[in-house]
Amino acid sequence: MILAGKQQKHLFLALFYLILLVLALFWIAPMITLVLTSIKGKKEFYSGLSLFALPEKVAWKNFSEALIRGRLLTYMKNDLIISCLKVPLGIFIEAMAAYALTRLRLKHATGIFIFFLVGMMLPFQIALVPINVIYNKLNLLNTYFGLFYVYIGFGISYGILILRGFFRGIPKEMDEAAVVEGCSKWQIFIRIILPMAKPAIATLVIVDFLATWNEYLLASVIINDNAKKTVPVGLMTFVGEHGTDYGLLCAGVLISVIPVLVVYLIFQRHFVEGMSGALKA
Amino acid sequence: MLPSPYQTLEHSMVTKRRDWGAIGFLLPALIVYLSVIVIPVFYSFFISLFDWNGIRDMKFVGFGNYKTLFTNDPIFIISIKNNLIWIVLTLLLTMTVALMLAVILNKQFHGRTFFRGFFYFPSVIAPIAVSIIWRWIYEPNFGFINQLAQTLGSDFTQTWLSNPKTSLYAIFAANLWAVVGQSMILFLAGLQTVSVDALEAATIDGAGAVKRFIHITIPYMRETFIIVFATLIIAGMKVFDIVMGLTAGGPNNSTEMLSTYMYSQSFRYNNVGMGTTVACIMVLIMLFIIVPYISFTAKEQ
Repeated sequence: MILAGKQQKHLFLALFYLILLVLALFWIAPMITLVLTSIKGKKEFYSGLSLFALPEKVAWKNFSEALIRGRLLTYMKNDLIISCLKVPLGIFIEAMAAYALTRLRLKHATGIFIFFLVGMMLPFQIALVPINVIYNKLNLLNTYFGLFYVYIGFGISYGILILRGFFRGIPKEMDEAAVVEGCSKWQIFIRIILPMAKPAIATLVIVDFLATWNEYLLASVIINDNAKKTVPVGLMTFVGEHGTDYGLLCAGVLISVIPVLVVYLIFQRHFVEGMSGALKA
Repeated sequence: MLPSPYQTLEHSMVTKRRDWGAIGFLLPALIVYLSVIVIPVFYSFFISLFDWNGIRDMKFVGFGNYKTLFTNDPIFIISIKNNLIWIVLTLLLTMTVALMLAVILNKQFHGRTFFRGFFYFPSVIAPIAVSIIWRWIYEPNFGFINQLAQTLGSDFTQTWLSNPKTSLYAIFAANLWAVVGQSMILFLAGLQTVSVDALEAATIDGAGAVKRFIHITIPYMRETFIIVFATLIIAGMKVFDIVMGLTAGGPNNSTEMLSTYMYSQSFRYNNVGMGTTVACIMVLIMLFIIVPYISFTAKEQ
């Protein structure tokens, strides 16, 4: 088949948009289903109303029930507390370590770095039983501290990887000038390195927040008190309690996704760039 | 050349003190890392040598648990097989769809930024939430897929999750929806490293789009492919939440993964020794796969 250049280009463009459209339909269907289901009451649900039809009246009750009776409000509060403790503390100690690995005279710096990297590939499962046993002895099960301490541990590898990469790109002249002015190592770290690493830290904050907010396995083993559960563990409890009430379940899921959506929309641009930046680091 | 002030200062200090300063900065991370990861890893290995229900009477059995798993535990073998199937599927499908999306979204067109964000968004949703959404989509009576089939005039219904023949693939499809954005982003970043000059030169030489892609784009993205490959394999070994949320390893253990089997052995059936052994085997497999990757990353840095 011989086509003129222009025709070929048009055909190519049409095909291109067709593929994009099909993929976009596949990807949006679950989201639309979620929203449409969450606004339907039980009655409409079982009266045979099509999944794709809009209800006569939006069932706001699903949302209020999920928040209060489904305890999602409590779960979100707990998750927020854990995330707000884990993210800044974790990043701070990761930054300290990355500073030592890149700026201070340290024997075997590369070896120590690789030692820290190994943690990135370990599955949480390897620590589950020991942590459960130790926490049981120390009375740390069902505590916020117990959970965010473990989260910090499992976040260290990635944090050090990203921050070390970034710190290496900060010119050494900056520290040298500060040394001349009589700054101590600690002052250099706080006043020069940390402020200069803002872009890397911002990326880490977002990645860390999402990972912490969404984590299920460790939280399900460490927390079983309904009053202390985080959102993913709470959602599973919620499913256990309201197994087939999909209107309510979808409302719950939608509510749990909203904070993530907000964070995502605010930082979207930065996020996508940051992720690719991390790749190049 | 004058010595820099930095060096002068370093030379004036005693070696020992210099090292201690660095260790002081390293210490908090080291303490947490040792207590959360390193010690538990060794502790897990220790427990894996015992027959233990988690409460009392630890009975030393040496490598007995390992032997039992490999020779006398069909569910363990199913788990390993499922993890392997999963990894093969991700490398074939997730990688292809991600690359396709990246190539499409690398073109200049109106709404490109929106679509990038749109396809990435599912990967920021909690996997547990994803599993609840898809549980509903697969629901046999009112769920999306079967209702769509009915709307289109077919009386086709399928119990996607409770049929052992389809359940693993149903979970995989849900997972594909959720995670493809991550690999897409990596590929998009990789596409930016492809030399525009080389592409233009090839166009002048008369190479078509497909030829340019195979002979120029792919070789330029070698590193990206290695990274995507490694992250997908690690994710395939670790996959847990979405399986737990959709089938919890059922029906009849047909979707059991190493991760879910470890969990149910340790926390549901109180075979803590056996469950921990599964965790240790997971780590051994991952070490085997990942050590080459880590040394690669360290070298690149």
